[in-house]
Amino acid sequence: MSGLELRGLQHRYPGADAPSVVGVDLVVPEGQMLAVVGPSGSGKSTLLRLAAGLETPAAGQVLLGGRDVTALPPERRGLSVVSQRPHLFDHLDVVGNVAFGPRVSGTPRREARARASRYLRLVHLDGLERRRPGQLSGGQQQRVALARALATGREVLLLDEPFGSLDPELRAAMHELLVELRAAMAPTVLMVIHDLDEAALAEQVGVLVDGRLHQVAPPAELYRRPATLTVARLLGGFNELAGRVVAGPDGPEHRSTWGCWSLPPDAAGQAGHGATLLVRREDLRLAAPGAPPRGPSREGRVVGCRRTGARVVALVETPDDARVEVELPLREEVAAGDPVRVVPEPTATVWAVPAAQTGPPDPSHHTRHTRHAPDLPGSGPGPWDHAWRD
Amino acid sequence: MSTAVSTAVSTAVSTAVSTAVRRGAAGLALGWLLVPLLPVALWAVASRWSGRAALPQQLGTAGWVSALEAGLGPALLRSTALGLAVAAVATPWGAWVGRLLGWRLARHPRLLVVALVLPVLLPPLAVAMGLDVVVLRIGVPGEVAVLAVLAVLALPYTAFTVAAGYARLGPGPEEQARMLGAGPRAARRLVTWPALRRSLALAALLAFLVGWSDYVVTLLLGGGRLVTLPLLLGASASGAGNEPTTAALAVVAASPALVLLVVVGAVLRSARRSAPRTGPGGAA
Repeated sequence: MSGLELRGLQHRYPGADAPSVVGVDLVVPEGQMLAVVGPSGSGKSTLLRLAAGLETPAAGQVLLGGRDVTALPPERRGLSVVSQRPHLFDHLDVVGNVAFGPRVSGTPRREARARASRYLRLVHLDGLERRRPGQLSGGQQQRVALARALATGREVLLLDEPFGSLDPELRAAMHELLVELRAAMAPTVLMVIHDLDEAALAEQVGVLVDGRLHQVAPPAELYRRPATLTVARLLGGFNELAGRVVAGPDGPEHRSTWGCWSLPPDAAGQAGHGATLLVRREDLRLAAPGAPPRGPSREGRVVGCRRTGARVVALVETPDDARVEVELPLREEVAAGDPVRVVPEPTATVWAVPAAQTGPPDPSHHTRHTRHAPDLPGSGPGPWDHAWRD
Repeated sequence: MSTAVSTAVSTAVSTAVSTAVRRGAAGLALGWLLVPLLPVALWAVASRWSGRAALPQQLGTAGWVSALEAGLGPALLRSTALGLAVAAVATPWGAWVGRLLGWRLARHPRLLVVALVLPVLLPPLAVAMGLDVVVLRIGVPGEVAVLAVLAVLALPYTAFTVAAGYARLGPGPEEQARMLGAGPRAARRLVTWPALRRSLALAALLAFLVGWSDYVVTLLLGGGRLVTLPLLLGASASGAGNEPTTAALAVVAASPALVLLVVVGAVLRSARRSAPRTGPGGAA
């Protein structure tokens, strides 16, 4: 039993105006991986330090395999941590670093070093046992740090942006290694990350903003049904359409200047309330202007285009001055000034969140798209204003 | 092509100039150190060097013989013992205070800094005279009083040296050791102190020098019973006509500082050599 549970964790740094962690509840089932994502300063690392015992919570509990370990010091919690800086011990060689955990737990030297060598093979670093940390590359150092954490034999691994300082190629290699290690050892992993792309490595993703956990869901669910506008904006790529949820003949519907959108049945609870419809930019397409088709749509004019890899994202301005992002199919391009009609893809899935969560709606902007969180690399390119070409 | 050549030439010239400037500065610093020592070194091996002669007229070991007769051996032992004792007291305390300062663990760091620096700012003669009265009245042995005062005087050097080491290291490695199963003491012993070995060695050397080179505190609080090398040197220098003896004593007195200089230079060179060859993001 090595599942990790955080219950009602609260924390505030001395002298800080706002708490760093506010009532966080989180469960990582045994052998699973949960990634906590959030912008810089959202409390991700503090959350990990609370779980590790490196910070003391003002309230709440940390449970490991159902056992309350909140009062235990870090060394007695049975957790291992790998952080962005590998913190290898310079006075020890590579094998000495990996054998450190077994040695302090009383394993004889020879046995500890033999175990260290096995873990070094596991991270594909056999042959480098006698090197000093300063003689390794960044990627190798991070592999040693992983091997060192695993060699303790602890079943819960806390990863604090472990690949954040590596270049993309190396990061991809480390992702593969993590998948391999999980398949081989099935540790319980709580990982905090800055890059949304890494969230796909986990079974569950938690979104932490301003110390509050807004949502915990599988990665696909997160993109399909963000719990709040804050989550949607953090993920990026959503268009926000202001309107109202009503009970339609075939289930709940969202009504706005776009027309009527069918919502999933579990949105019925929002009927009668103002709600913001969230539709992803890849779920919209551009059609020729003219007579409106059946279903929701909106006429507008292309005001800019931006290339994201092989595809082009068009920015369309509607007559009420609202703007929508549409990701065009491969090899399709439009020019600024083109009149278009924005329609949903037949397979589009939409979701509505209560309008109250956004504050009072701006009457002049019934539609907007969620801007990418500027400091989340995986959420896509930065603010579009600088990148659009007309 | 010509642009590339001119850039290469300009880079080479700028490198040559900066190397020349660096070497010139090093030469000046060495000269500053060696010029006062040169006459002392010559006097130490001279038995006659009169008036306006540029060099000694006669070489010999008279100065050394006389210095040994004056008690160089026992004084050397006492100075060494005093220096080691001061280092033994001031280094652990300095390491503790340095941890508080380097990792900002002190609640009132400014107060701590003022408390550390205050004994150094006060004139040692005044402090020693004042303490002499106190020590006599409360019956503390002179040797213990000398050691205590010198340890306090050495503390700022050890504390700030170690604090710089702690600040550079950060708490990360120690926390990592804790997460790997080491208790607080084991984490410090097995990870933090080895990582700070250079700072600790430098702090210990500085503390040793404070004890080794002290004159005023040893004279006043030691009550004349604790005859160390500086006291012997002072007594010899205050007399006339015994320059070779004084020079021999001065050479011995200066030697630890020179050793320190060599050691610090070696440590700095080794630190540069052992810097990681590749930073994060390098090829795996």
